Amino acid sequence: MSQYASLLIALPLFSAFFIPILKRISKNAVMPFLALVTLIQTGIAAWVFSEVYSTGKPIIIMTGGFKPPVGINLYIGHFAALFVLVIAVASFLMAIFSVKSVSVEPKDKYAMLFLLLMLGATGMISTGDLFNLFVFMEITAISAYALTAYNKTGEASEAALKYIVLGGVGSSFFLVGIALIYGSLGTLNMAHIAQLANLINPIAAKVGLALLIFGLAVEAEQFPLNAWAPDAYQEAPHPVTAMFSAFVVKASLYAIGRVVYILSAAEGWSSILRLLIILGTLTVIVGEMSALRQSNVKRMFAYSSIAQVGLIAVGLALGTASGVSASVFHMFNHAIVKALMFLAVGYVAVELGGAEMDKFEGLGKRMPVTAFAITIGAISIIGIPLFNIFWSKMQLILAALNARYTWVVALILGASLVEATYYIRLIHTIWFKGEGEKVKENSVLALVMLLLVALIMLIGIYPEPFWNVMQKAGSDIFNVAQYVKNVPLMGVSP
Amino acid sequence: MNPYYFASIALILIGFYAVLVKRNVLKMLVGLSIMETGVNLLLISVGYVSGKSAPILSEGITPDKAVDPIPQALVLTAIVIGVATTAMALSVVINLYEKYKTLNVEEIRRLRG
Repeated sequence: MSQYASLLIALPLFSAFFIPILKRISKNAVMPFLALVTLIQTGIAAWVFSEVYSTGKPIIIMTGGFKPPVGINLYIGHFAALFVLVIAVASFLMAIFSVKSVSVEPKDKYAMLFLLLMLGATGMISTGDLFNLFVFMEITAISAYALTAYNKTGEASEAALKYIVLGGVGSSFFLVGIALIYGSLGTLNMAHIAQLANLINPIAAKVGLALLIFGLAVEAEQFPLNAWAPDAYQEAPHPVTAMFSAFVVKASLYAIGRVVYILSAAEGWSSILRLLIILGTLTVIVGEMSALRQSNVKRMFAYSSIAQVGLIAVGLALGTASGVSASVFHMFNHAIVKALMFLAVGYVAVELGGAEMDKFEGLGKRMPVTAFAITIGAISIIGIPLFNIFWSKMQLILAALNARYTWVVALILGASLVEATYYIRLIHTIWFKGEGEKVKENSVLALVMLLLVALIMLIGIYPEPFWNVMQKAGSDIFNVAQYVKNVPLMGVSP
Repeated sequence: MNPYYFASIALILIGFYAVLVKRNVLKMLVGLSIMETGVNLLLISVGYVSGKSAPILSEGITPDKAVDPIPQALVLTAIVIGVATTAMALSVVINLYEKYKTLNVEEIRRLRG
């Protein structure tokens, strides 16, 4: 039964290559087909989620029946089950949004790349093999390059070129890291690497891990390699921007967490944690400082996203179970909030012809539902109590105190203060400046936005059940011994 | 240590230098390709054992006389991915040239901040 979970990979892949045939039959069927496929994917993901959480056991799929480390395995544990669901739901909502917001032809190429982006992120989260992780990362990255350039303006091509050059350098780093770890251990299976981690040459482990982190940091928007992000976020089609922020980045962050923790038995491992915590801190500072002086709202949200991603990386690098759980909680909350905010801003840009700050004057009177959604999202990101991000920031602070990183508390509070400055400026512009004609809002999109707002409030008021789920997901990354025990390795021992 | 490591790392560094320093977009992409080639060579040399033959089972070649096949399989995949990335990048550059009429990265700079 559980082998059907491989449909999570198979369905988007087959559907993506079915689209050119479908286009021959009927051009108007492409977008509804996209929504249908993402809806089915959501159904499968929900089934996998309930299966994993009710039995408490991960689903492990072995390709061709070969046991790892000979065959490649997919590992859908607590974390993967949760985030595959997040990816599927976010893709479904953005597929609905695409019907309204994407008007540039060729739409069939858009739908194909959309599905491949979803497939890549799903694969990155569920794979159990280091090289397979690289392949899925490249699927994600190449579809992301193409989607960034989709609008075919000069600016979009420029943003895509920046992304391609950085991504190419990053993937080369990643491969060198794989070469070092493979050369030292002779295996690519993550569970097998974790089992042998205490035997690895410490220099190969340190350099290899650092290179893997740098390779993944391009997609995860960590500091020295995130120059592409604001440009790509600004120029990509609006649903794609929301997908980048909601799950492409999260998948890469998860991959960073996974590769770091599987080698936790290696000598000199704590210096890698220090490297990651420094990268995360710099990311937060650079992101918040740049967000302050943006005049384009989409670009401002992009920088805000970068800052949040930095906080998540810091949480992952605390090296404690509560730190990892807190950053998983922050990933989850941030995915919801940023999906909502990029959806709302994209909708404003479609209706009013741009995402510049002056377009937002009088928005509260022109598009009240959208303005309300943006306001709730902004308040939540700042970290006001009774909204979801308050709880994850709270957990991050508690975890930092437990791990004796007092300055991380100052970092989180300082970041919240800067966020408050620019988000309150935006809220002020929306509600207290300018006048305008009322625009008729699309009822489906309004419903989607209100649904996400309701989810934000629900987590804000009842965080307990969600926090329990996040702790299970976090221990899936942190508890490497359990991870090794779950994967049926074929007759190998250290 | 085998000498292939030095050659491949030299290739990676030459490519990286070109990506960082060159002003012409096409030269940057050439640098990227050189980097990828260096990485592929490094991967191959990880599995290389002096004096053994290619990992194709045939007369007189048993598994203990062949080199490690896994890096070679990986490099095949990596080459395909590299070609896809290069093709994607070149098509973006064509579009870029049509819009800006130049290939100099200094002049292609409208997105700022």
